[in-house]
This record gives sequence, C-alpha cells and structure tokens, in this order.
Amino acid sequence: MMIEFLTRLRFLIFRKKRSEMDDELRFHLDQLIAANASAGLSASEARRRALIEFGGVEQTREQCRRQRPGWWAGLVTQDIRYAVRGIFAHRWFSAAIVSTLALGIGLNTMVFTLVNAVLLKPVPVPNGNRLVSVMERSLTRDDQSLPFSYPDFQDYRSQASSFEFFEATTNDAGVLSEPGNPPQRYQIDRATAGIFSMIQAQAFLGRVFLPSDERPGAAPVIVIGYRVWQERYAGLPNIIGRQVHIDGQSATIIGVMPKDFRFPHGVDLWMPLVPTADLAKRDNRPLQGYAILKPGITLKEAGAELDGIAARLASQFPTDKGLGASVLTFSQRFNGGPIRMAFLLMLAAVGFVLLIACADVANMMLSRSLNRQREMSIRTALGASRWRIVRQLLVESVSLSTLGGFLGLGLATGGIHWFDLSTASIRPDWIHFTMNFTVFGYFAALCIFSGLLFGIAPALRSTEPNLLDALKDGAHSVIRHRGVWLSSVLVVFQFALTVVLLTGAAIFVRSLLDRLAVNPFIPADQVTTARLQLPEDRYKDEDARVHFFDRLLLRLRAIPGVTHAAIASGAPGFGATNEQIELEHLPVANPSKRPWISFVAQSPGYFDTIHLALLEGRDFNEIDGSANHEAAVLTRDAAARFWPGQNPIGKHFRFFDTKNKPTPWITVIGISANMVQELQANDPKPLLFIPYRQEGWNNMALVVESAPDPLQSMRKTVQSLDSDLPLSEALRLRDAIERSLWFVRVFGRVFLAFAIIAMLMASLGIYAVIAHATGRRTQEIGVRIALGATMRNILLLVMRRGLWQIGVGLIFGLGGAIPLSRVMDSLPLGGLQSAPAVFFGVALTLAFVGVFACWLPAQRAAGLDPVKAIRYQ
Amino acid sequence: MVHHLVEYRGERMPTSTDLLQGTLDLLILQTLALEPRHGWGIAQRIQQVSKDVLQIGQGSLYPALYRLEYKGWIKSEWGNSDNNRRAKFYRLTAAGRKQLQCEVETWDRLASAIGLVLGRTVEASR
Repeated sequence: MMIEFLTRLRFLIFRKKRSEMDDELRFHLDQLIAANASAGLSASEARRRALIEFGGVEQTREQCRRQRPGWWAGLVTQDIRYAVRGIFAHRWFSAAIVSTLALGIGLNTMVFTLVNAVLLKPVPVPNGNRLVSVMERSLTRDDQSLPFSYPDFQDYRSQASSFEFFEATTNDAGVLSEPGNPPQRYQIDRATAGIFSMIQAQAFLGRVFLPSDERPGAAPVIVIGYRVWQERYAGLPNIIGRQVHIDGQSATIIGVMPKDFRFPHGVDLWMPLVPTADLAKRDNRPLQGYAILKPGITLKEAGAELDGIAARLASQFPTDKGLGASVLTFSQRFNGGPIRMAFLLMLAAVGFVLLIACADVANMMLSRSLNRQREMSIRTALGASRWRIVRQLLVESVSLSTLGGFLGLGLATGGIHWFDLSTASIRPDWIHFTMNFTVFGYFAALCIFSGLLFGIAPALRSTEPNLLDALKDGAHSVIRHRGVWLSSVLVVFQFALTVVLLTGAAIFVRSLLDRLAVNPFIPADQVTTARLQLPEDRYKDEDARVHFFDRLLLRLRAIPGVTHAAIASGAPGFGATNEQIELEHLPVANPSKRPWISFVAQSPGYFDTIHLALLEGRDFNEIDGSANHEAAVLTRDAAARFWPGQNPIGKHFRFFDTKNKPTPWITVIGISANMVQELQANDPKPLLFIPYRQEGWNNMALVVESAPDPLQSMRKTVQSLDSDLPLSEALRLRDAIERSLWFVRVFGRVFLAFAIIAMLMASLGIYAVIAHATGRRTQEIGVRIALGATMRNILLLVMRRGLWQIGVGLIFGLGGAIPLSRVMDSLPLGGLQSAPAVFFGVALTLAFVGVFACWLPAQRAAGLDPVKAIRYQ
Repeated sequence: MVHHLVEYRGERMPTSTDLLQGTLDLLILQTLALEPRHGWGIAQRIQQVSKDVLQIGQGSLYPALYRLEYKGWIKSEWGNSDNNRRAKFYRLTAAGRKQLQCEVETWDRLASAIGLVLGRTVEASR
C-alpha cells in the first residue's frame, strides 16, 4: 500500500520524458517491420504494411500521457501561465482591475476579521472554545442577562453536570487605599476561588486564590492586576504581603496577575467571594457565572439542564419565580444588540463595495472582450472548445482577483490596526482583532468567488458562437447593442448600491453632527465633571450624604477661578434615571399605563453651572427636597406634555418605585428651557429635575465651571473632607462628550470611507463605460459634427444613456435605502429627525457626481475635430 | 454497454469497458510473471499463447503499460533486446505479483460464474 502510494507520488512530481515514449514506440515499429520482413516481404513492403498495421502514434501518446495521475493539472498550469502572460501584456488595464479588486477584497477581509473577532472567535484563554457565560434570564420579559444570588449559584453548581468548572463573580467598583497613597477607584471582582484555575491562569508574582481563601473567617486577601501594580506601585518587587484597604476593609496582597490579564473583562483587582449573611439571601443577586463546558456538551444542552434546575428553584422559592437560566458564549452575551448590528451592517456595506468593484471590473472586461474577438476566433479556429476558452478566461479573471486580493490583504492589515487603535479604550479586553484560519478561508473564497463573479459574463459573451459569425460579417451594431444592455444593468446596479451605502454613512454623520451640537448653551470647554461615590459603611444614611455634599459644595465654590459648582446625578448629556409618574389630576390604576419620565437629581445652582435658562418659577433652594418640601423643575417639553396649555407651576405629581409604592406628592416649582440629557437614547423621555436632598444618593457627579482646569483643586478639596475618597471619570465636559460618541465616530468614519470608495468606483464605472462607448462612436460623432450637429446635440447624444442609468439607479437605490434607515433605528444614534433630508442630500450628491462623470467624455466628444474624427480608426 | 454495476457475492464488479481493460491488465501481468519483457515481446507472447486469437495493438498496449507502471505494479528499465537493440523491459513488482494473484482469483470466480449461468459446466464435464 505504502509503496503504491510512494510510486504514485513519484510520478506526480516527476514526469516521464517524451523521448522515452518515442523510443519505445519506434522499437515496437521496428520489430513489426522485422517480423514482416522475416515473413518474406520486401523491405519497402514490410515497412508499408507495418506502418498501416501500427496506426496513429499521436493518439497513443496522448493516451499514455493521460494515464499519469494528476495529468490534468498540467492543463491548469498551462491556463495560469497563459493568464499571467495576458495580465502582463495589458499592464495598465490589469493594474486598474487589480487595484479596484484590492480595495474590494481588502475591505471585505478587514471587516470580516473584525466581525470574526467580535461575533465568532472564542475567548483567547485555554479551553476558550468551551468557556461560557452563565446568568439567569427572565421568562416574562426579554432580558437574557440577570445576575443571580449566591444560594442559586450553589444550587446550580451542585446540581449541574454539564460543566467542568463553574465559578461566579461580582462585578463592582471599589476604592483601594493605604496610608501615604491617595485612594483610587478600581474595577474589583469578588470571585469564587476557582476563577483563575478555570482558565489555567497563573500569577505573575505570588499566588492566585486557594480554596481556603474563600472560607468564612479566612484572612482577607487580594490579587492585583499588572496595570495596578505598575501604575500605583511602580512595579515594586516586594509588593506581596502588603496590607491595603478595600472600601475601608483591610486585605493582604497575595499575587500580581500577568500583563493584559483582566478576566472576565476589565478587572483590576480580584478578591475571594467569602460568604456573608448578606450573600446568603436569595433575593440579593450580585453574581455572574462563568463556566467551562465538559467536552462534547453543547451550549443548548447546558442551557436546558440549567433551565431544569431553575424551574425547580422557582417552584421552591417565590423569589426565583419567572426566572430561567441563560448559557451563552461571550460574544453572544456581551456583543449583542447594537454592536452586533453595527458589525453586520459593516459587513453588508463592504459586501456592497465588493459588488460595485466587481461590476466595475466586469464592465472593463466587457469592453475589452470586444477588442479580443480576433484572439478568440483564432483560438476557436485552432480547435479550442468553447468550454476550454471560457475556462481559460475564468482562470485569467481568478488570477486577477487573487493578485488584487493579496494587495488588499496589506490594506486590510492596515485597516485592522487602525480599528484596533480606535476602539482600544472601549472594547472588551478579550476581543483581539487578529486574523485566523477562518479569515484566510474567507479571503481565499472571496478571491475565487469575485473572480468568477466578474469573469463569467464577459467570458460567456466573448465566446458566444453567433457573435463570431456576426464579427465575420462586420456587423458591429449587433454586438454593440447587446453589450450595451449588460453594461447598463451593471451601472444601474452600482448606482443603486451606492445610494444605499451613502445613506447609511449620511445617517451616521448626521447623528454625529446632531449630537456634537446638542445643548449649545453649555460652555463645555469651561465645565469639568467628575464622579464621586460615598462608601455606604461610612455614609450610612441620607442625612450623612447630604451633609457631606453640602459641605463639599461650599468648599468647591471657594476654589479660585470657579464661577459655579453644583452636584447632579448625571452630568449633562450623560444619562438620567427613568421612573414612572402619576399626575394628581389624572390617576392611572394600571401600573403599566403610567407615563415614563427621566430625571436628574441636583443641588441648587446646577442651572447656573450649565447655563440652562429658567423660563418660569424659581431654582431649588436649600429647603426643597426635605420632608414636606418635595419639589421639581420641568423642562418646557415635559411641561407641555403633561400640562398642555396650562401653567404647571404649583401642580402635583408623584413617582412610583419598583415595588409600585408611591412617593409623596411633588410640587412643580419652575420650568426650564429644553436640554438633551440622554445622548444615546433614540426616544428620550420627558426630562425633569428634582433636588438631591429628595433622593439622598451616594453616587453623584460634581459639575464645576471654571476657566482654569480645576481638577487638582477639586481632588484636594474632596480629600480634605475625606482622605479615602477618589474622583473617577474626571474630564472636561467637551472631552467627555467626544469620548461618549466613540460609537458614532468610529463607525461613522468607517461607513463614510466605504461610501466614498463606492461612489468613486461607481463614477469611475460610468465614466469608463461612456468613454468607451464614445470612443467606438468617434467616426459617427465626427460625421454628425460635420453635418452641423451643435455642441448641445453631441453632449445630449453621449450623455443620454448615462443620465438614464443614473436616474434608474437612484430610484432603485432609494428603494433600498428606506428599509436600511429602519434597520439603523435600532442603533444608538439618537433620535434622527431629518431622514427625508438625508435621502434628498444623498440623491443630489450622487446625481451630481454621476453627471459629472458622464460629462467628461461627452464634452471631449463635443470638442472633436470632425476631420480627424472621421479618419479615426 | 452495461452501465450498472454487476453484483457478485457482495463485491462490486466493474462495468463492461472496465472489464475489458481489467482483462488486458491481467493478461499483461500474467505474461510478465515468468520473466521481464519489452512491449513488443508482451504482445507477441500473448498472441502466441492465445493461438493468434488475442492480438494487442500498440494503441491499447502502451497506455495499459503506463497505467500499470503508474500504479506501481510493474517497473520499467532499459536493456538490450535479443537482436541487441535498446529496448524498455517491464518487470513485475512485489505489489504487481500480489495484484496478479488477486485478479486471477477474481477471474476464476467470474469465469465459473458465467459458465454456470450459460449452463456450460455440465457439457464441459461430459
């Protein structure tokens, strides 16, 4: 068996020599002659008969050749050799095609790499392909990601058999402090002890958790991330054993994790999850689960098993009613919704770009196929079958697209690098934008597929049998008419796709411009915001918090250069709390029918700080918000919504909390101008403001207006009141807004680039088609000019077809753009009011560019010298 | 032309063209089993042994030889013929010998089966 295989392999690589075969056949013939001669024939007769008997040699040769394993591969290499020769013979033509395809294939490879990383690739840890995220889900609402309680987790873990490992962690922020080092806020996960061994993670220094670390009463320990070690402790080698405080509780550093290790994602510090009385409650749900599936168990099977356990828990404990389990991959869990949609839209967009590129190339090949008629007819006359010629032309187009593809691969690498940098600060750290075998497979498929796509029509056309007859008769008009039809369809198709792409890009750009222009009254360059969280153990009740904030405000306003200072639950543009309300004059019995509003809790002076005009009534004072002085200020839109045509000042309404319990009645004391508080929301709710005393929250934003940067002084002021309080998310408002718009900015740029490339390609396509058609009609145009056609006549004659194609393309494109704008409604782009204007603008831009592309060859034709044109050959 | 496959005791038998080709391969292998020969010699030998019934033209002989060599059942080397001319001699390899045995068995089974169907066994034994 082995020998047989090796023999075959040997012959696959080494060819037999042709001369050997000839020698052998000659020997056979000579033997035949000799045999005839020995039978008594004369020498010449013996030879004559032998030759007759022997028969044709060429066929035998061919037959022998075909016995060789893989003999057909020779034909393919022949085709490729021929194709490469053709490509180099028409250098400029090939360069145009290759660069068009490089763009098309390069962009597709780039976007597929991104999509693959975000939606398909497993997490890059050992056994990452079996790593899943486990949470609970609501059986009644569409919510797949609910955290669960510690007792639930223990029940799942002891009963489930689908998992090799099953660990859980909280996902909080906490303050790390110690004497002599300013307090800092970090992402801290309290995790079950196996969280590191689950993914075979080792500490860079010291050790990871041991099972004994999570026993009640164990000495509190902490593992720190590499970045914390470097930035806070300057990489001190003797860090292990140091005592620190986490939210005021002491703990010992036992390990430093390796660089870039932030599992599950974005974690700075890890502490063991030590069971407490609080954790033992089934309605306290702080945990997210991570598990490694046993080999061979699917996501679905694990989900079904956990659902069964969840159903048992639900029947046992009322607080678990209506809950199921949700087992998903990281991509499914964390990259759903708008992220998934944006990446799929991006893939669709570059798919369009590739189709436009292929249409361009097909058009170029079509025009050239007319010039190659002579070559084709010679080859047919020499006996090449139609299939053979088509195959050879297809090999040529696939070679072109492969060349383009490899050029595009360089482009893709650059694009991926750019995208990687643009999203580095906000993307989950387990996403790595790198190529893998899936990407290379996709790339190879693209090269072959696009080569076939743009090659097949021109190849079939240039080998059409009746076409050759038509050529012999010199009946040019017949061919031209049929070629025109196909290339017209291609141009219309290109313009339609470009309209869709441009609309997508325009919606992004429009949204970005809209949102950069919101709240123009706020001096965003002068306002600084930072968040502050009061730890619950030191600020136990509302009074303590309000007292702290009151004292802080006085000191903030005393900082030199500060003109205004206030605190608010959310900086302007950075979200609000949603709540259902009931109006005094309009009681609503059904809780689900009550109107939703969003609100910001704030200190007096906030309106002045952000320069929001009060239209009626007054600002909050120091008493508003205390018991029996519940108050609110409505924006103009909210007032008009709830008290249309009335003066709302002095009217009453109340909130309902999650347990459907009403708050006391709240009095409207003022009306402010409108502002946008939720940049990301597509349908913002009516906005109103309440005094911070009313809520007494512990996590608030400081909003300070000051021409010089007040950040250092703000930090000092806060720490003069409480040395263990860090400021987080401290930024100038302008920078904070810019940063929050990364989604629109990055994807807007990407889509705009795609759309512009598409528009250029489509214009190039129509230009080439018109220019080529005009070139073929040079003589005719010359005659027309000689006979007295005006410049306008000629322009119309040449441009008519192009204008018609642009028009039809625009109509089809708008037909596709309208559904696209619906799909994009689900992206966090902010409510877009001006969709019709976008459509109009896109159509106008594209029409202008397209007409210009037609006008260029037309005005050249109109300027022809008739004498030269008629002689033109 | 028989296009479907003939079933023979659960083994798949090739169609008629393949059958003829297979037979030629069998004849060549058998001829080479005794001693190495050149192409001409093989054709002559088969013609001789079959009493001029089986005449093999170069058009089918050489493709068959190439096929067998590519499969590794025979091996060729240049040598000198009886009349001292350079000729290519073919020789059975170990794999070829095994193949020959296998094909002879198949042939025997097939021949006796066809004989049975045609009702010749009785006549032959008489």
